[in-house]
Amino acid sequence: MRALDAELADLAAELRRITVTVHGQGDGSGVIWRPDGLIVTNAHVVRQKHPEVVLWDGHALRAQLVAWDPDRDLAALQVPADGLPVARPGDVTALRVGDLVLALGHPLGVANALSLGVVHIIGSGLPSHWIQADVRLAPGNSGGPLADAQGRVIGLNTLVAAGLAHAVPVTAVARFFRRLAA
Amino acid sequence: MSMLSTLSRDLADAVEHAGRSVVAIHARRRIPSSGVLWQPGVIVTANHTVQRDEDIVVSLGSGRPVPVTLAGRDPSTDLAVLRMEGTAVPPVERGEAADLQAGRLVLALGRPGPNITASLGLVSTVGSEWRTWQGGKVDRFVRLDLAIYDGFSGGALVEASGKVLGINTSGLSRAVALMLPAVTVDRVTEQLLATGRVRRGYLGIAVQPVRLPGGGLGLMIVNLEPGGTAQSAGLLLGDIIVGIDDRDVGDPMDLLATLGPERVGQPVVAKILRAGEPRTVTVTVGERTVSGGYSRGRGRNASARR
Repeated sequence: MRALDAELADLAAELRRITVTVHGQGDGSGVIWRPDGLIVTNAHVVRQKHPEVVLWDGHALRAQLVAWDPDRDLAALQVPADGLPVARPGDVTALRVGDLVLALGHPLGVANALSLGVVHIIGSGLPSHWIQADVRLAPGNSGGPLADAQGRVIGLNTLVAAGLAHAVPVTAVARFFRRLAA
Repeated sequence: MSMLSTLSRDLADAVEHAGRSVVAIHARRRIPSSGVLWQPGVIVTANHTVQRDEDIVVSLGSGRPVPVTLAGRDPSTDLAVLRMEGTAVPPVERGEAADLQAGRLVLALGRPGPNITASLGLVSTVGSEWRTWQGGKVDRFVRLDLAIYDGFSGGALVEASGKVLGINTSGLSRAVALMLPAVTVDRVTEQLLATGRVRRGYLGIAVQPVRLPGGGLGLMIVNLEPGGTAQSAGLLLGDIIVGIDDRDVGDPMDLLATLGPERVGQPVVAKILRAGEPRTVTVTVGERTVSGGYSRGRGRNASARR
């Protein structure tokens, strides 16, 4: 049991370092995508050109909004930084119902709150492309990471519907950044 | 492999294993409910989600829906039993009764559509035998600490090993998630398969707890069914029942506890106070007739639950 606790603490610490607070349209979270300061968050979290981003160590930085896609509810921010810890992307296609997931964010202003749950449903016949998880979220979790049992980011927590957490899959985030680079 | 990854894999395996025995039941409007292949060809589900007696079909995944017949329903424990012929769906693997302990890590499985769903939580309380508000006997009071989503009722509660501990329902309590333990499901299923109903004793009275002059509580008869078994035995309005056979009764639940299926047709001795005088009256327990069909009025209420 102590080993399990230690593992969870390690994962929480890793997720905390790759998660930022975004003071934009209200407070949300974001995930560091590249060491040079490229950050992904939800489009509904940021509506202005220069939101403030606070890193895990308390450093506050003025960010530049570099992409904004309300249809996919994704936004990219650039902060002046280097050598930042980045998210390890997980394999969304390998997810199974019942797999453990961890969400980190700043729900209702509480910094770095961790919650544990499971993948709720998987299926090709589903009407949406969301990852749906049985994990407790609140406003402020938006834009924060949803990670698998190994701490790899599988999605970006985006909304709660019918009590279920809905996350944009990390594959959609990767596509978003590919379009940005192109 | 890390412990967390192992646990994650075990939980997903449990969902896959037990999920093969969890079916979607199409017996209400809007979303389907969940049911569990409890024994070969027999599906158990939550009674309040079965809103019609005929034209019931079940499905598993994207497979073709299969028609099933209603074997019986027991509103008092919120269980209904369906018969399914010629199926390849495997019955669940049961957990040990001793595994039902507070603190156990569990998954609630449902299938409110083609896909299996899961929520994670704990067995929160395991208490003793209790009576539902409709007088049904449930062998253990099992409260769950987990989130309730569509498809919860009639679904399976499984351990991390994939073994099933019982059937979930939100139909017996407004506030909390409850599970009907396997022993209760077995007993009710057996009765429903044998006779299509669960017999319940009936006296034909309505009672109200009252304080007795000498201390303690009794049950005053405030309504008496004309021609009912209590009236035929000579009980009168205003009589205060203080005991049944050698047990004190001070709560309507005490009375319900004496009216189990085994008491139907049997005499019980009621100790009463009439105008302050103690008396005994022998009453033969009748059988409660509950309409087997689905009552529309109650259903609208019930369909709001998941």
